[in-house]
Amino acid sequence: MAVSVSTSTAISSLSSERYTRLPPSASSSVKQPSLQFPSRTRLLRISTPRAPTSPERQFLPRVQAKKQTFNSFDDLLANSEKPVLVDFYATWCGPCQFMVPILNEVSTRLKDKIQVVKIDTEKYPSIADKYRIAALPTFIMFKDGEPYDRFEGALTADQLIERIEAGLKVEQ
Amino acid sequence: MTTQASAFSLAVPSVPTPFRRHRNPLVVRARVEPSDKSVEIMRKFSEQYARKSGTYFCVDKGVTSVVIKGLADHKDSLGAPLCPCRHYDDKAAEAAQGFWNCPCVPMRERKECHCMLFLTPDNDFAGDEQTITLDEIKEATASM
Repeated sequence: MAVSVSTSTAISSLSSERYTRLPPSASSSVKQPSLQFPSRTRLLRISTPRAPTSPERQFLPRVQAKKQTFNSFDDLLANSEKPVLVDFYATWCGPCQFMVPILNEVSTRLKDKIQVVKIDTEKYPSIADKYRIAALPTFIMFKDGEPYDRFEGALTADQLIERIEAGLKVEQ
Repeated sequence: MTTQASAFSLAVPSVPTPFRRHRNPLVVRARVEPSDKSVEIMRKFSEQYARKSGTYFCVDKGVTSVVIKGLADHKDSLGAPLCPCRHYDDKAAEAAQGFWNCPCVPMRERKECHCMLFLTPDNDFAGDEQTITLDEIKEATASM
């Protein structure tokens, strides 16, 4: 099973390099205890597909990631032109790892329609708490920073695409 | 997710030698792994409990392997195999309380395992096996 997908190649994620607490003024206008974030959060966005280069990633064309810097998860959500699918996962959660190649496929197939972001709930427990995440994986669809759909558990690529597109239709 | 490993050499020279990177390569895994002992305990438990409950492992044994390691990891850190497929406010409190200690209450009462570890035969993802070897677990999670 392919569990070795690097976040830098396919999907946006918050990488925890240096962990510093943001001063309250730096966070968004939400009136909550400040979220702990790395001082420089690098998020990688998908732009165009490329040919496969490494043996373990035989399933899909390798997607070129575009690096962007965000100050917080809220920033990411607010600045996204497209709806965002957020996958809340944990390292040792079986179904979450099962979804790794599926999310790659879905983000390639729907690359013009949504942005896919993965949040490691053990690295960012405060974000997981904010959205009351319980079971893993939990997927939340965001539009303009607000959640509009939410579902739990592993599903196939077709089922996931169906669910995403149904949500996109309603939103329009 | 990335695998992190760094390689460096161990040199005990009688004569000073320059640092040689590839002479005695020692690969260090940066990610914390559960202990072999706990993995073995949880592996045996999983096989036993699948038989006892009439449930089967996932067609993708990678899922089974990851969950078994997750259970072992919590057993190491918390003393109890807390369900690895949930987010908790306070893991220690949950482990002490017991609802989500494997086999969790939903599994015991309704054979509901959202970790996809124990699957009832009617489940789309259920395979036909109730066994898994340590080698299978190691192979499936080697690239993590």
